[in-house]
Amino acid sequence: MKPPLTRRRVLGKLGAALAGLMTLPVARTVKAAVQKLRVAPGAAKGYDPTQHRWVMAIDVNRCIGCGLCAEACKKENRVPEGPNYFRTWIERYIITQPKPGSAVARGEVLVDSPNGGMNGFPEPPVKRESIQHSFFVPKLCNLCAHSPCAQVCPVGATFDAPDGAVLVDPKYCIGCGFCIQACPYGCRFFNPYTRTADKCSLCYHRITRGLRPACVEVCPTEARLFGDLKNPVADEALQKFYAENRVQALKPHLGTEPRVVYAGLDKEVS
Amino acid sequence: MASSRESRFSLPPQILRLVLLTIAIVAVYLVARYFLTPPSFGQFGFYRGDVLQELASLEPVYAGKKACEECHSEQYQQVAQAEHKSVSCEACHGSGQAHAEDPDVKMAILGFSRCVRCHEENPSRPKWHKQINSRTHYTGEKCTECHLPHQPNEVP
Repeated sequence: MKPPLTRRRVLGKLGAALAGLMTLPVARTVKAAVQKLRVAPGAAKGYDPTQHRWVMAIDVNRCIGCGLCAEACKKENRVPEGPNYFRTWIERYIITQPKPGSAVARGEVLVDSPNGGMNGFPEPPVKRESIQHSFFVPKLCNLCAHSPCAQVCPVGATFDAPDGAVLVDPKYCIGCGFCIQACPYGCRFFNPYTRTADKCSLCYHRITRGLRPACVEVCPTEARLFGDLKNPVADEALQKFYAENRVQALKPHLGTEPRVVYAGLDKEVS
Repeated sequence: MASSRESRFSLPPQILRLVLLTIAIVAVYLVARYFLTPPSFGQFGFYRGDVLQELASLEPVYAGKKACEECHSEQYQQVAQAEHKSVSCEACHGSGQAHAEDPDVKMAILGFSRCVRCHEENPSRPKWHKQINSRTHYTGEKCTECHLPHQPNEVP
């Protein structure tokens, strides 16, 4: 006959369960040791992703809208042709003069990006006299510290790499498009050839080789600066950028904390 | 079974089967997960660590201006001291990795379109940037007749 359920027996069983839980860390260590033997080196040779923290700084006042960055990006990263597929692009903002007596400081805001600005910008769609203010804004993945795209990915295909790049694992991506909708900056697109989500990889193949991203390389006016916050030798140009400008990020109210920062933004830019 | 029927907390057999089935399903899942998860998954976070190397394996198309300097140091020095010092070689000359690996692969020949790409007058361009209207600015002449691309302030 089974012994009746007594306090002593219940306490004994609880103790045994606790002892069982105590062995879990041991099991975990053993598993970690086993996994370590099977792990292939993850990062590129000679490149330790934990030793870098990449940032990009964009000076809007220096952008001349030549579109070389968008063109170079497509070429470098084999981005599909067509006006809907861009990892980086340039937007032209045109703010018109307010109507006389309308009691507003600024008129209409017109934003366009013909073919991502790759082929330059045609004459503005409004008369030159009616333009109050106009400028170009280069756009790309904002390298969020808290990236919404990585949060929504259901399969762990999009992630924040230790060096600050936000990347897509094309072998894991199932092309569900959640991340494309989640990105508040519109920086992602669906690649029709790979059938996966695609985005700026910060030219991961270049930065791991010690080269600058293609857009930064070809920018003729140094409107784009690229640097490493973990670099023990401080980047002079980047230091100067932070020291001399009022630096801000796009859509700061979203709490994404982008590592792509801008100088000279107007409030109309989003 | 006789003893269990007498105990106060006997499980009905169908419940016992359900519990065993659940345990079996979870066990199969755990075993499958253990063997099917790539080893590098979780190396840096909730993703495959190997993907970093895979993404880094793409070959560059733009060589970077340090590669240009190796052979064209004279031109590199010229540009570095003149107005166009912030312009990297490949901004005008185009992607050069193929040429850097094999000098027989020629770079594109440049012309008027490369100059006006940046210097055509446009109201959205910042005022500090030198701009011309190509329809009125010495039409019919080549840009290089008056401006040296590597030293734009010098007259040829």
